[in-house]
Amino acid sequence: MHHGRNAVDVHSQAIAPQIPVADETAALWDFLENAGVAFHWVAEDGTILWANNAELELLGYPADEYIGHNIAEFHADLHVIDDILTRLRNDETLTGYEARVRCKDGSLRWVATSSSVYRKNGKFVHTRCVSVDITAQKGIRDLQQRLSAIVESSDDAIIAKDLNGIILSWNRAAQRIFGYTADEVIGRHISILAAPDRVDEIPDILSRLRRGERVDHYKTKRKTKDGRILTISLTVSPLFDAHGGIVGASKVARDITLSESQAEALSAANEALTTANADLEQFVYSASHDLQEPLRMVATYSELLMRTFRDQLGPDGAEYLDYVLQGALRMDQLLKALRSYTLVSTTRKEPVDYVDSGNILDRALANLRPDIVASGALIIRTPLPKVKLHDFRLEQLFQNLISNALRYRKGTRPEIKVSAEPENNGWRFAIQDNGIGVDPRYKEQIFDLFKRLHSFAEYPGTGMGLSICKRIVERAGGRIWVESELGRGSTFYFTLP
Amino acid sequence: MDDNPADVRLVRAALEEHRIIGELTVVRDGEKAIQFIEDIENGLRPCPDMMIVDLNLPKRPGRDVLECRNRSGKLRNVPVIVLSSSDAARDRDDSARLGASLYVQKPSRLDDFLGLGATFRQMLGFPVW
Repeated sequence: MHHGRNAVDVHSQAIAPQIPVADETAALWDFLENAGVAFHWVAEDGTILWANNAELELLGYPADEYIGHNIAEFHADLHVIDDILTRLRNDETLTGYEARVRCKDGSLRWVATSSSVYRKNGKFVHTRCVSVDITAQKGIRDLQQRLSAIVESSDDAIIAKDLNGIILSWNRAAQRIFGYTADEVIGRHISILAAPDRVDEIPDILSRLRRGERVDHYKTKRKTKDGRILTISLTVSPLFDAHGGIVGASKVARDITLSESQAEALSAANEALTTANADLEQFVYSASHDLQEPLRMVATYSELLMRTFRDQLGPDGAEYLDYVLQGALRMDQLLKALRSYTLVSTTRKEPVDYVDSGNILDRALANLRPDIVASGALIIRTPLPKVKLHDFRLEQLFQNLISNALRYRKGTRPEIKVSAEPENNGWRFAIQDNGIGVDPRYKEQIFDLFKRLHSFAEYPGTGMGLSICKRIVERAGGRIWVESELGRGSTFYFTLP
Repeated sequence: MDDNPADVRLVRAALEEHRIIGELTVVRDGEKAIQFIEDIENGLRPCPDMMIVDLNLPKRPGRDVLECRNRSGKLRNVPVIVLSSSDAARDRDDSARLGASLYVQKPSRLDDFLGLGATFRQMLGFPVW
């Protein structure tokens, strides 16, 4: 049994107690069999020659199901055990070689094996394998690797610092965002990242952390290595040790410079557009006013010319001059309508009070009285609700729709019915007539600016009335549409919230 | 007080049409209008029976003319008609606030313009006919 002695360190002889050889051998065997570490011997072909109790317990096999079997049967990865045996045959010493072994209950365990070959006269006798169960550590290590892979792959800078603000860790995104490598910043104070006007924040953040408070999505400025100032969204949380003491902080910094500048650009563009739009409406308003001035001259002086010099003009001259006058008057109407159209949006303040739409209808009907009387129209109305709309707009809305109903009449006496029904927290108004109707093909187009379906001679108009109506209704958050068939009258509907 | 000779001519025609006989003094810009009012105040010119003011005058706006007239003691009881092409509510409101007796939008039709003579007669306190 000399090999047993040779297996232990020769130095131990110096401190070995003086005990008889037989007792010494028995004690060594007892130690090997019962020590808390797994030992086994394997022959050159892989046959397990001996295994101690700790090894059998680790794997869960009784001795007869393990000893005498080939070690490869108990390995999960054949190439691993092949490699181990090949290395040992070549007299390599293995230290902490990690392998997966299969237990009796089918589970797999990670072991770290340290081994070498015992040779006698150059001949492979057996291996000297010591295995340590590292399953638990392996799990923790895997988890750590996964977590650090997540930290590394994050798009946000993730930085750990101690309570004095000294940087302890620095991920790839931190390098990308701030420009410093980990080597350049670990061990330095976090204030190297502060923008010149934000240096004061850092002691404040640190003192909040010492009290265990978090800083959530705090928008601030930070400086990069090359001096650029970034807009950063910062979340800083205290890090606790196993006993609940605060030992430092993790800081997640997101570079929002771009989205911030995009938002700013968008809002600036929006503002410019609103201004441009208001300018344009103001322009149309002023232009239509200023254009009306010379036109008024053309109209009144055509009339004056006609009146004063009719005899000299002769019938042809009078006819031509009448065309001049009619053209000027028509353009005058168009410009007036264009101005009311732009006026719909230039008075921005929205009403807070409800108006009685019945009273407003009275006003519109009073304005249209000459046309109503001339056409002999019959106006039928149901009780009308109170609605939230500027009174002058509602008046214009009624007036335009009823004036259309009067104008686009058939030969018969016009009948116009005005009614309203509740709908979706608001009201749906209907203005129904028995006129010429609208070809369904044009039911959208008629609301377009300057769109007319008839010649001026047939039915005079500016082609703006319905566009003004549409603008009024839509600005108020409602909808306007027509239901009609040619020759069978039309019903114009509009909703008001 | 109007810089547009065509409108001056129409005003003259409206006055004639309604047999309003008198002297019509025409002032063609805001600065001259203010000078005119100051001259009246200083007794350099006779006081008129009625003033017709356009809001849109060269050099000084009609609003300044109205303000100047408000400071004048002699013109306090002289009716002022604002005759403007504008249909803006603001112009109408401002004119009333600045003491105009009446605001009239310049009509596009000849008859309507000449019909203003009746309004002038009324403002002058002439019998209506």
